[in-house]
Amino acid sequence: MNSQTQAPRPGRVQLILSAKSSGPSEAAIKLASLPRDETQQRFTLALDSAVTEVFEMMVGISLGSCGQVTLPRVADYTAMIGLAGELCGVLSFRCSLETAAGITAKMLETIERPSQETIRDALGEICNMVAGSFKVRVSDLAAQCWLSVPTVVSGSDYQLYPLTDGMRMQVSRTFGGTLLWLTLDLHGN
Amino acid sequence: MPELNVLIVDDSSVMRKIVDRSLRQAGLKLKEVFEASNGMEALARLQQTRVDLILSDINMPAMDGLELVRQIQGVDNAKGVPIVMITTDAGEARVIQAITNGAKGYIRKPFTPDQIKERVIPLLQV
Repeated sequence: MNSQTQAPRPGRVQLILSAKSSGPSEAAIKLASLPRDETQQRFTLALDSAVTEVFEMMVGISLGSCGQVTLPRVADYTAMIGLAGELCGVLSFRCSLETAAGITAKMLETIERPSQETIRDALGEICNMVAGSFKVRVSDLAAQCWLSVPTVVSGSDYQLYPLTDGMRMQVSRTFGGTLLWLTLDLHGN
Repeated sequence: MPELNVLIVDDSSVMRKIVDRSLRQAGLKLKEVFEASNGMEALARLQQTRVDLILSDINMPAMDGLELVRQIQGVDNAKGVPIVMITTDAGEARVIQAITNGAKGYIRKPFTPDQIKERVIPLLQV
């Protein structure tokens, strides 16, 4: 997170990711009663299993492990999806242009380089499916949770500022030797 | 099984291609595959074309999958055509709403061709 708290460069686009809770729900009360480390570990495992499942089933590839790798200040592509309801926050998926093109080509089973529009479409769907799969894995804690429409940002001159004040889960994996990152920022209520 | 005309409704063109491929990998013989990126486009297509199977996402702009299923019930051309929802949002309430509106089943994304086969083929044999 340290890289995300630096003062923005003039002219740089800042993306403020806001996630507001509608107030303490049964799930929030249940979550609050669990040890924070345990919850964070469980959510991280759920996120890791979700991204593994999505890549195996929809991209046709097993992601490599790489331990915890520092989140890049800016990735070429960032796909985001909001969670609302009993779990409230933002899930984001980041990778380089080459990785994004590789993932899209594998999804479409093509050797041709996909267009920017197709890459954005594919990354949005990946993010959407990871969020859906994550939701299923924690449904005993948060049965009522809705997903927003995914948003994909591309370029190299932007910074992300998630306005959540709760937990951050981060998963880093490799795709064909290149890194990709998933973060889930949950609201504190 | 005869060759089928299928309508795939999803706002993601990548996902429409994956569903198309998965149907073929599941062993279905497809005569023609029609695509729509939302419920409105799907309804317009169904006014003109008779299909044997409809697969639809739920979360889409303009008209979502739940409303599409509800409105399909009033389209003469689509009477009795099985509708299967393919969605990341497979929460109990939404699934119940889809079934109440007229869907015959649902598949959660991500999915495998085997899961498509398991859910879709029994509907075509009725």
